[in-house]
Amino acid sequence: MTLREEVRQAVTAVASPAHPGSDAAGAPRGTTSDLTIDETLLLHSAGWEPVDLVYGISWWSIPWGVWQWTTGEVQEASAAFTGAVNHAVKQLRQSCEQSGGSGVLGVEVGVRVSSHHVSIELTGTAVRRTGADAHRFEFVSDLSARDFVLLTRAGWWPLGLAAGASFVIAPRRTAREWAAQQGQNVELPNLTQALYLARERAMERMQQSGTAMKAEGIVAVKLREGKASSSARVIQFVAIGTGVHLRTSTHRSVSPEMVVPLDEQVRVFDVKSLRSAASE
Amino acid sequence: MAVTAGDGLPEAATRRLAGGAWSSGLSVADFASCLDMGMEPVGYVQGYAVMQWSWFMATGGFGTGFGTGFAGIGSGSSRPLQSRGQYVEQWQCPHGFVSAEHRMYGANYELTWLEQSWAMGWGLATSRMVDEAKELGASGVVGVVDAMHSLVSGTTVEFRASGTAVAVPDAPRPATPFSTYLSGQRLAKLIEAGFAPVAVVATLSAVRMVGYCITHYQLAGSTAGSWYGAGAGGVSGVGPVDQVNRAETAARRLAREHVRAQLGTDILHGATLERSEREIGEGDLSIQCTLKGTRVRRFKDFDPLPEATPVVRLA
Repeated sequence: MTLREEVRQAVTAVASPAHPGSDAAGAPRGTTSDLTIDETLLLHSAGWEPVDLVYGISWWSIPWGVWQWTTGEVQEASAAFTGAVNHAVKQLRQSCEQSGGSGVLGVEVGVRVSSHHVSIELTGTAVRRTGADAHRFEFVSDLSARDFVLLTRAGWWPLGLAAGASFVIAPRRTAREWAAQQGQNVELPNLTQALYLARERAMERMQQSGTAMKAEGIVAVKLREGKASSSARVIQFVAIGTGVHLRTSTHRSVSPEMVVPLDEQVRVFDVKSLRSAASE
Repeated sequence: MAVTAGDGLPEAATRRLAGGAWSSGLSVADFASCLDMGMEPVGYVQGYAVMQWSWFMATGGFGTGFGTGFAGIGSGSSRPLQSRGQYVEQWQCPHGFVSAEHRMYGANYELTWLEQSWAMGWGLATSRMVDEAKELGASGVVGVVDAMHSLVSGTTVEFRASGTAVAVPDAPRPATPFSTYLSGQRLAKLIEAGFAPVAVVATLSAVRMVGYCITHYQLAGSTAGSWYGAGAGGVSGVGPVDQVNRAETAARRLAREHVRAQLGTDILHGATLERSEREIGEGDLSIQCTLKGTRVRRFKDFDPLPEATPVVRLA
């Protein structure tokens, strides 16, 4: 069937009345998905289908005062982050199981840190094996459908979101250090050490979270860092990735084919440069 | 001039749509793709609705906005209530009377009036757009773009929807033209995959949270373990903010339920979920979620697809 014939068939389907009983009680409910058509097709080719848009969200409180009179890591904030992530993932999993999915893909992770709370927002699409009736929950992953297909084809399997965070208050120099460093471009060892340590702690916690889910590794790690909105002296490090393990005896090569595009690369030039060349 | 859905179009629109050259909001690539699919652009179509927009009841104090739905408040720290089908949930302070400022009660409730206002504005704009397409004898509207933005002052907003009406010769014309956010190659792939676009659908869900004492303390960071802490039945230190979590979850669940109510057995494709929050006062929030996408209907089974071939570009 040609594309034009398919379009006519599609329009005819819209022109005809909706499925009888589509709104009746007990009729199958409509599904929701935030996947693109490319992702839907790719999943279909791998034997999976979207089931529902699912979410998990958690706010955890951070007591007043933890950001003051301290240097180094703010343990309470890190603990609140870990608690919020675990809680949000639990909700996401429940939401997935209720909708009949066996995994969640393409999870968007929203992290907000304010002076008194941390909030984690997870939104993704629950998926299941095409036509499967019985579902056993298998994974939560922030990988795209494309990455999921490539990963599973290589023999690996996603397990869950691995995350870790560290919040650090940039230490101040002593008056003596400050005076000694005036007029020089020198390393500030207290800052280097504090930030280095905080980065490593965030990564370490993410790794521990992966180990807890029996992952052999964590892929697609995103390390977010920057000043906290509540204070310029507070720097936050958040590491998030997908814990994976090998399901086959060895890694399988996906053996990509090499392609050479034959279209010309567009040459970009600055018109002004031509003008100046002509005037010379 | 009465410009409500089905009441007729503005005079200028009728003249514009009556003759002359057709117009299209499609990019050249999408235009070419539509022609390839057998969809002929017949006109750029649009719909608008300007509405008075304020928070009225959302800024009201405790107990406002859901009338008798809050009746029956009593023991227990958190109890779900259903009032006329809307989401309502209540919390009670574990401390007893402390002072006049102490938040004895808290509640989460659905702002149905806000949801209905939004649905009215969005629905008017999109139905007017579809009316223009109908006027043109189109089969559908592709590449829909919609938005809501403030006009003049913050209390007036405009809902807008626009797209390109297309005709499909030799196919029966639907009584209501289909509409979709997709166009071009993405629309072609959708149809090839066996999905027919039915309509753009969108919904807003809104939940108002009036924090009770514990939530108030948590959001203010005052949970460092003093008398209102764990020993007094509250919380101390680091911990989940239960009332906000329930409100956030409810807002998303309501958005999904509202959209599902418009789907029947169809599918919401390419959904986007956006959340926003408004702090009404310390410890009080209003949370909104918009969920939109294209309602699609399966008209044929998936063609069996071979496994995709991974490639590496040597460019």
